[in-house]
Amino acid sequence: MTTTRTITLANRGGATYNVGHRKPLLESLMAQGVDLPYGCRYGGCITCAAKLLEGKVNQAAQVALNNRQLKDGYVILCVARPLTDCTLAVGVESHDKLYRNPFIDPLQPHELKADIATPQEV
Amino acid sequence: MSSKSCCGPGYASPADAMKAPREKLLYTIAIYTGTGIQKPDYLVTIDADPSSPTYSQVISRLEMPGIGDELHHMGWNACSSCHGNPTMERKYLIVPGVRSSNLHIVDCATDPCAPRLHTVIQGAEIKAKTNLSAPHTVHCLGSDIIISMLGDAQGRAPGGYLHLDKDFKIVGRWENSMGNIKFSYDFWYQPRHNVMVSSEWAAPNTFMPGFDLEEVGHLKYGRELHLWDFQKKTPKQSFYLGEDGLLPLEVRFHHNPDSSHGFVGAALSANIIHWWKDDDGEWKWEKIIDVDNQRHPDWPIPVPGVISVILLSMDDRFLYLCNWLHGDIRQYDITNPHRPRLTGQVWMGGLLGRAPFVNGCKIAGGPQMIQLSLDGKRLYVTTSLFSTWDNQFYPEIRTTGGVMLMVDCNTDTGGMSINPDFIVDFGKEPNGPSRCHETRYPGGDCTSDIWT
Repeated sequence: MTTTRTITLANRGGATYNVGHRKPLLESLMAQGVDLPYGCRYGGCITCAAKLLEGKVNQAAQVALNNRQLKDGYVILCVARPLTDCTLAVGVESHDKLYRNPFIDPLQPHELKADIATPQEV
Repeated sequence: MSSKSCCGPGYASPADAMKAPREKLLYTIAIYTGTGIQKPDYLVTIDADPSSPTYSQVISRLEMPGIGDELHHMGWNACSSCHGNPTMERKYLIVPGVRSSNLHIVDCATDPCAPRLHTVIQGAEIKAKTNLSAPHTVHCLGSDIIISMLGDAQGRAPGGYLHLDKDFKIVGRWENSMGNIKFSYDFWYQPRHNVMVSSEWAAPNTFMPGFDLEEVGHLKYGRELHLWDFQKKTPKQSFYLGEDGLLPLEVRFHHNPDSSHGFVGAALSANIIHWWKDDDGEWKWEKIIDVDNQRHPDWPIPVPGVISVILLSMDDRFLYLCNWLHGDIRQYDITNPHRPRLTGQVWMGGLLGRAPFVNGCKIAGGPQMIQLSLDGKRLYVTTSLFSTWDNQFYPEIRTTGGVMLMVDCNTDTGGMSINPDFIVDFGKEPNGPSRCHETRYPGGDCTSDIWT
């Protein structure tokens, strides 16, 4: 199994980068000169959130996203490792659905963070 | 101790502090974290001298070494608690990054108009030595510096207290025990009563990504207040505030060191909680101010005030609070702390549309951090709370930036009015719109000093 993945940044002119599959995407991309926002660097604060448009990542270490943000495709670059080739939208330009005013737009019980969400009724 | 024999920093008493010369410089935090501008957060120096040609302007900027710190609150290496110690000097501002856990030590004395970076204590070192992260409130006591840390190294509650010596070396954890405390946030101590009071926000992993209101019901946010045995460094009593005290944030004791009275603003409940030691020696609490939620015509859920800060004047006569989501600042006369009297109110920004423009400037955000002059007459106000929370409630702040305004406060009869001549528009910063947060004065202010 190959250990490199090709990462395409859709909102940076479709630029592509070859990265290792064991390293967090933030670290790999910044090492190749991509200027990205970040904060805590342990998956707790969403400053580095990006939108995954294609592909799969392992972001089991993130604790910042609620289930709605996950459903909308957000990934936490400081802990996410690429399982496949991926296409991402990065930076605050990708944050159109990341932030919500809870007094306008409440979360449903199944949309909370994983540790307190209730299973969705079907 | 006679004040005449003292030549350390600060003032012999709150009354002496009130007679200090007017503040001429302000130090204010400005952030780019979360804004899309890939620049470090920075400390600005603002000219507050009305006779100066650069009055109401930023006169210097000190960038931090890295991006993404989220500078937030800050404190001095020394205050009036060391007034009797001639070897101490109020020279260094400790400027923590909540997200990075870096502590920036800034020399403000060598050139007060252009502070310079002295050293940085790396967040990685703090995590490795103390298993703490997310620094918040900085207080000094004598030669010790104590900082509330809101999480462990993985951002989980309850965090604890980081202890630095006067040379900024990590001593370790200050507290001997966190007891049953679930969360940390702000704290203040009153040594003559051997008491410290601490409040509760949430775990960093809960509040840093933004405010999911729904998590309050899942007990992810605080609703208790804690009294500590200050000498033993252990909690001794907790007040369960319940629905009256959701998100108890800024903690203020009376400045008078003999007083046991103090106050905390419960942000989400939009209440002021008052505590004191009663004649029987028991600590008591009560709710003394209750800001009603307001209906927004288009929204399903009523909007709470979200009291993001409170502050007491140096003579302990007035309490100020900000309703960050409603958009008003209130002044209460608390001469009788059990029966506050509303004496002033001004509006700026907010979600209710009461004051979208002030002094010709579009206000994004609402009144948030405040700092009062030592004489009680000038209240400086900034509009940004926290990058992720700003982005939720005031998304336009990304392009508008924050703003600092000044409110003239009447200390005779009470009353407030927004000063028409003072405005610092952080939307016009050279690197693009930034957001302004806490403010301190070189000589100490109404939230920096504690008398022992």
